[in-house]
Amino acid sequence: MDAVTILYLAAYATSTGFFLLRHMGGGQRAAGVGRALLTAGFLLQLGDIGVRCVRLQHPASSTPEAIALIAWLIAGGFLLASLRYRLDAAGAFAVAPVLVLLLLARVVPSESAAAPLGSLGLTHILLATLGVATFALAAAVAVLYLWQERQLRHKHLEQLRGKSTPLDTLDRLAARCVSFGFLVFTLGIVTGALWVARLGLVSGRADVRPEYVLALASWLAFGVLLLARAGAGWRGRRAAWLTLGGFAGALLVVVSYFIRHAA
Amino acid sequence: MKGDLLVVGLSHRTAPVEVRERLAVTPAEIEVLLRALRSDRITELAMISTCNRVEIYAVSTDGPAALGSLRDHMHERLGVAVLDQGQAYGLDRRLYQRLGREAVHHLFRVSASLDSIVVGEPQILGQVKEALEAAQRAGTVGSTLGYYFSRAFRAARRVRRETAIALQPISVSSVAVDLARTVWEGFSDLRVLIIGAGKMSDLAARSLRAQGATVAVTNRTQARAEELASRLGCEVEPFADLPRALLRADIVITSTGAREPIVGRELVVEVQKLRRGRPLVIIDIAVPRDVEASVEELDGVYLWNIDHLQREAQKNLQDRRQEAERAEVMVDEEVARALAVERGRAVGPTIAALRARLLGLARAEADKLAGKLPDLDDRGRREVQAMTEALVNKILHAPLVTLKDGASSAEGQALIEAVHKLFGLPELEVISNEDAAMEEGE
Repeated sequence: MDAVTILYLAAYATSTGFFLLRHMGGGQRAAGVGRALLTAGFLLQLGDIGVRCVRLQHPASSTPEAIALIAWLIAGGFLLASLRYRLDAAGAFAVAPVLVLLLLARVVPSESAAAPLGSLGLTHILLATLGVATFALAAAVAVLYLWQERQLRHKHLEQLRGKSTPLDTLDRLAARCVSFGFLVFTLGIVTGALWVARLGLVSGRADVRPEYVLALASWLAFGVLLLARAGAGWRGRRAAWLTLGGFAGALLVVVSYFIRHAA
Repeated sequence: MKGDLLVVGLSHRTAPVEVRERLAVTPAEIEVLLRALRSDRITELAMISTCNRVEIYAVSTDGPAALGSLRDHMHERLGVAVLDQGQAYGLDRRLYQRLGREAVHHLFRVSASLDSIVVGEPQILGQVKEALEAAQRAGTVGSTLGYYFSRAFRAARRVRRETAIALQPISVSSVAVDLARTVWEGFSDLRVLIIGAGKMSDLAARSLRAQGATVAVTNRTQARAEELASRLGCEVEPFADLPRALLRADIVITSTGAREPIVGRELVVEVQKLRRGRPLVIIDIAVPRDVEASVEELDGVYLWNIDHLQREAQKNLQDRRQEAERAEVMVDEEVARALAVERGRAVGPTIAALRARLLGLARAEADKLAGKLPDLDDRGRREVQAMTEALVNKILHAPLVTLKDGASSAEGQALIEAVHKLFGLPELEVISNEDAAMEEGE
């Protein structure tokens, strides 16, 4: 593990610590420090991604690199959303997965793709990665929503006063993430299907892997959520749980790819 | 003395809202009830019935018996409810009773808002004054009750003036604002519906309106809704169209005097369907409650009742405990002062009667002497008269000082009785209601 990787891992780790501190009742300064460290980690990782691209270890070159990109996108998405929304309390839920994904990606030695991806394969991996990262952000927001909603339902107003993100804001942010992620993920699935079909035609065989089924289930869950939200006004708790369900499917896709390539 | 002050009641400290709402009495019912409870044993009565407490204050010469009688009354009132509900409310352990100094102390603490859910909240003083007015209309206020209530108002005013206890207490307004901030980003798009036209709703509406929310009022009596709306400068929603008003609202603050819930679960379920999952915050400060408790279970609905506010206020109390401790000391001082003055008031008629008796005797003897001395001119008569009166005053000086000093002690009553017995004085005169009214106007 090189020095830059250690540096941005350390930045993400301490950022998570400061956001946790804020979540547990620390002052606004804790969130400010957490955000600064997250920005530092984000920029350092951006530099690292650039260097890796030069070394032909671009995000689509292997599962660990794709996972690292997902982590970077989550961090970037959170920072971007922080500009618009009061998201101090969500920091702990958004940055912790970044750290976990990066540790996962960096402890496993990076392998090269078995065959050249081609533009279709590259597009598929980038779109799927962006989609999963957006779903991860939606899931982090949903977890925070459920936690805050539970506090409110149990009348623990002191846990929320002055440091929580309004439930309505979290609900709308999660919905926006899901809408954007669904669009990107749909394109990812379509390009993936085309890619697999082309590979099948070239090699003369077409496998149906569990990842495909999981990806489709995840896509369906998010599709149902969007339809129910638009049609039946599904919001709040139900929407948050369905977001988590959909993300679990997307996460399993990544995990199964990871296991396959690590094996 | 007409008797001792006593109180029987229950409050948010001893009984949950489910029990308090069974005993709550409307202002119209209070007067009837007070007249019915008055007897030879219980000469004066007043009743405080708010969302946080139901208390009967009385004056009786036989305190223990009067306490028993009032407890029986409370049991009777709830007895019907117990049968209805098929469950025991454990009223014996929920009811408290105080007699004499303890009752005075309790009244002073209640009036000073030290026993409120929201310590330092200003509404309770008005509610205690309304209780006294209702009792005056019922004709059940005499000198003792009137006196102690007026002293309680004075103690409450002193606490508010000399401590910071009333500064930024947790109130319906502050909880409503905090809840809104937890659920929504800003207030500009929020619509607040006030059901009922109580004072607390009025304050909450003003506070939310100041934050930028739109406020609408609805009330069973349209005229009262219009009156509140004109005061607040907000809209009026017809009470008959409550579902539509709920549909448009984001925050509902309800405080009607209805005996049964006016917002049921089914209504909220229907409304929430049409609201397409939009969150709804309901603050129900009515006792009996206006909103069915099971509404709390619905997705997207956040229901707070008076007991939830109490718990929130207790958390807040920690911050203002120091001020509350200062206020407690003030209340103790005011109680001691009131009791001392009351004893002084009691000794006044005795002193007057004693002076009248002795001066009457002295004047009679002086007249008798003047009759025996025909050469005595007018000047001489006046000298004799003055000498006898001076003699009486000198004789009375030491006993009167002792009596006045003793009056502010616990043995005061025994001293007064001894003087009446020794000098054959008539029964004590009862201090008139006008005196009490004058005290109240201090």
